[in-house]
Amino acid sequence: MRTLTRNHRIAEFRRITQDPVLFVGLVIVVLFVIITVISPIYAMVEESLTEKGRELFERYLTSPVYQRIFRNTMEMGLLVAAIGTALGFVLAYVQVKVAVPFKRLIHFIALVPIVSPPFAVATAALLLFGRNGMITYDIFGVRYDIYGLDGLTLVLTLSYFPVAYLNLRGMIQALDPALDEAATNLGASKWRVFRTVTVPMLIPGIAGSFLLLFVEAIADLGNPLVLGGNYEVLATRIYVSIVGLYDTTAAAVLSVVLLVPSLLVFIVQRYWISRTSVVSITGKPSGTPQVINHPLVVWPLFAAVMAIVLLIVIIYGVIFAGAFTKILNVNNELTLDHFDFVINGYGSEAMKDTTQLSAIATPIAGVLGMLIAFLVARKKWTGRHALDFATMLGIAVPGTILGIGYLLVFNGPQQITLPVIGTVTVIPKLTGGRAVFGGAAAIVLVYIVRSVPAALRAGVAALSQIDPAIEEASVSLGADNFGTFRRITLPLIRPAFLSGLIYAFARSMTTISAIIFLTTPRTKIMTHQILNEVENGRYGNAFAYCVILIVIVLAAIGILAVAVGTTTGAEKTTIEGAA
Amino acid sequence: MAETQAGTLVLEEVSKVFSQRGGQGDVRAVDRVSLTIEPGEFVTLLGPSGCGKTTTLRLISGFEMPTSGRILLDGKDISHRPPNKRDMAMVFQSYALFPHMTVFNNIAYGLRVQHTPRHDVQQRVERVLELMGLSGMGNRRPHELSGGQQQRVALARSLVVEPRVLLFDEPLSNLDAKLRVQMRSEIRNLQRRLHITSVYVTHDQVEAMALSDRIVVMNNGQIEQIGTPEEIYRWPVSRFVADFIGRANFLSATVQTSREKEATVTLLGRTVTVSASALLPPGTIGTAVLRPEALLLEDDPTLEQVVVEQTMYLGSTVEYIVRLGEQRLIVVDADPRPGRVFREGATAGLSFEPETVHLLAEPAI
Ligand SMILES: Nc1ncnc2c1ncn2[C@@H]1O[C@H](COP(=O)(O)OP(=O)(O)O)[C@@H](O)[C@H]1O
Ligand SMILES: [Mg+2]
Repeated sequence: MRTLTRNHRIAEFRRITQDPVLFVGLVIVVLFVIITVISPIYAMVEESLTEKGRELFERYLTSPVYQRIFRNTMEMGLLVAAIGTALGFVLAYVQVKVAVPFKRLIHFIALVPIVSPPFAVATAALLLFGRNGMITYDIFGVRYDIYGLDGLTLVLTLSYFPVAYLNLRGMIQALDPALDEAATNLGASKWRVFRTVTVPMLIPGIAGSFLLLFVEAIADLGNPLVLGGNYEVLATRIYVSIVGLYDTTAAAVLSVVLLVPSLLVFIVQRYWISRTSVVSITGKPSGTPQVINHPLVVWPLFAAVMAIVLLIVIIYGVIFAGAFTKILNVNNELTLDHFDFVINGYGSEAMKDTTQLSAIATPIAGVLGMLIAFLVARKKWTGRHALDFATMLGIAVPGTILGIGYLLVFNGPQQITLPVIGTVTVIPKLTGGRAVFGGAAAIVLVYIVRSVPAALRAGVAALSQIDPAIEEASVSLGADNFGTFRRITLPLIRPAFLSGLIYAFARSMTTISAIIFLTTPRTKIMTHQILNEVENGRYGNAFAYCVILIVIVLAAIGILAVAVGTTTGAEKTTIEGAA
Repeated sequence: MAETQAGTLVLEEVSKVFSQRGGQGDVRAVDRVSLTIEPGEFVTLLGPSGCGKTTTLRLISGFEMPTSGRILLDGKDISHRPPNKRDMAMVFQSYALFPHMTVFNNIAYGLRVQHTPRHDVQQRVERVLELMGLSGMGNRRPHELSGGQQQRVALARSLVVEPRVLLFDEPLSNLDAKLRVQMRSEIRNLQRRLHITSVYVTHDQVEAMALSDRIVVMNNGQIEQIGTPEEIYRWPVSRFVADFIGRANFLSATVQTSREKEATVTLLGRTVTVSASALLPPGTIGTAVLRPEALLLEDDPTLEQVVVEQTMYLGSTVEYIVRLGEQRLIVVDADPRPGRVFREGATAGLSFEPETVHLLAEPAI
């Protein structure tokens, strides 16, 4: 039976090679993932295991300073994960199950932090709650020290809870209302239903959100750079190792420490939570969802939700106000100087570069995402699970780790020596001084690598909604795999493609941790410029950058929606004359 | 529509093993299936759910690769040819219409893929639309059609490319009973007219009998029997086939003498000559297959006596369930004259018509 399986694999492989376009696509995708995802991570791990790396490991393990950094990181991660998941749950539950007013508005505002550039929230929080805070000092007269764990927890929670909210909202919506009804019919009170039915069914979703938020929090670099103060975490220490000490080995060693929990969470998510959560959802809700309208439940929850909404509104209000005033809260004279600086002055280069590079990365990421989704979900071949896994690593590993990997792999040209021809440069130098395109190529690659996973998941989800027989029908009528993908699959997953593109663009424009080591004097990136402005106390400029960034992202969403289309053409529409 | 070319399909010892993840518990979905289908023939794969019908069809279409064995189309080995190069078209159970295209574009799809000139596409699609009674629906979307119309579009889409072989996987099972019967005869008429070699999968024996030139009865991935509907009904080779095709009573019969395809047996106290599926040595106890209509109830105390347990008066027929010793038998009286209907609880004499009895080599249970 073993030889049989092997022959089978060979036959399988032969079959893929018979379709040249599919085969070329497969080869390109696999090579791309190996070069841009696997090799940087591998190089980073390898660097950490050199003799010097191993010595550092030992030093760090026994050093109280590093033990403290590690504890800080975990503490912050757990706090953010717990509070963020709780916030997300409350909002999601209220949104789906409780009769409160302004639901659409609440939903919209809860999603705002997702498209916000890094540093924006942290800087606004500084102005609101810091030593001279508009709330803490001006209103309450307290000289509050926001630097450290408390400030970090606040801004990280606000930045990442929307992920938990979206996650849980989807799951609560998918809960079969018949279950609620059944439990209620059996005489259980609503509280009992909540405790014994709703919550247990959502455990996988809650656990999943918790883990996701944990990883996001410990990987975040932007917020600790602004608000960390003396509270050092792994991400900031890695940053200092590279930017301050030029010690890649130390950075690699610390990165591995950060990589381990991130990877563990990724694997648990992938093999445990995603599996159990499928079981608990019936997919076809039946019956009417029970809405809670008891005033003693509704109004306290409404107040809590409104408090969160208000906080978000105030923070974004500060960002906008700060962008249009000389120095917010010191000199509130209205001005367009900051915008002038970004649009016409020193910042214009960064604005153009970032937008251009993101615009290059976006279509590539979108198409790659759909192509990999097709190869993974629709083609039977050994290794498709590995390809999926490797692609997902692009987002599963913290951005700083990817950045260091790129520094290690692409800081010189990759060459191979062939007989007769001699040494051939396969990949030129992509990072650092005198890199091709001033380092822009590496940045585009990172943008793509960070964006493809979301497109892939959207694509796989969309494909699972499409009867495979539809594609088989196309093949049976004589179309090859590529033709089928182009004429049938791609149009049918158009909405997923669009959301992949939108995500890719927004992600690319706002990413910081993965590219912070890759920017060069020739290639300026907005997020990095924002950091400079914040570090130099020029908050007005930083806020103007943020506002412009948000405007560019929103405009791009509009353009993409028009260019790609939001529908598949398969939607049910009423056409005049049709019965 | 032009006569399609040949279309002789041969399966040689074809097997398909699905290896489960983890390595253990491989499923042998198709087990050494050999079959020759003549040009223009309509062959049905019939069997219970999970017996490997769909897998066999997917092997023919190229969506699965055989683990061993060969598939030949007009003499050429196509076992490893990809499905789009096989000159076959498949009609799916779910119709699998392209939801984002109009009916016209759905049907034109295969022609366009082959780069048929625009003018020809227009003509051929119009012709098929008319043939299928879909004229004027070209601009509709699939979801604007009824189930029956969707099925017609699916069929039209496959017919228009004039494939050498048409494949059907339970195409009627999503339709309601009445429409199913109607589509059944439409498919049959079309196929006879166009003379396209067809392989049809179903688990519905009535459908199989109504449509097929020959039926292939499958069980556990293997072929149990191949034959015309009549052959399969009258001379099943096994209890499985006899049971699956129509209804059957099984009684033990002692062989007296046996010749090719015929045997003299003692059955219910009578010695009669019946058809047989194998040579059996004298003295062997075989299984006699008696269709319900082959059994008769008579008011005759000299016959073997049975107790009538249930009487169902169905108008043109009367169905009885009777008890013979430990065994329950179904008896259908196709000509129930008034006064000859036995009431429940009554005793009756059991008789049979020897011409319709068939002897199996398996021992009775
Ligand atoms: N892709 C597959 N992987 C593993 N097992 C399969 C697969 N397809 C079919 N089988 C198994 O093969 C057997 C035959 O299936 P199938 O051909 O679909 O039967 P039928 O169409 O007669 O109902 C079943 O036991 C089924 O579970
Ligand atoms: Mg089947």
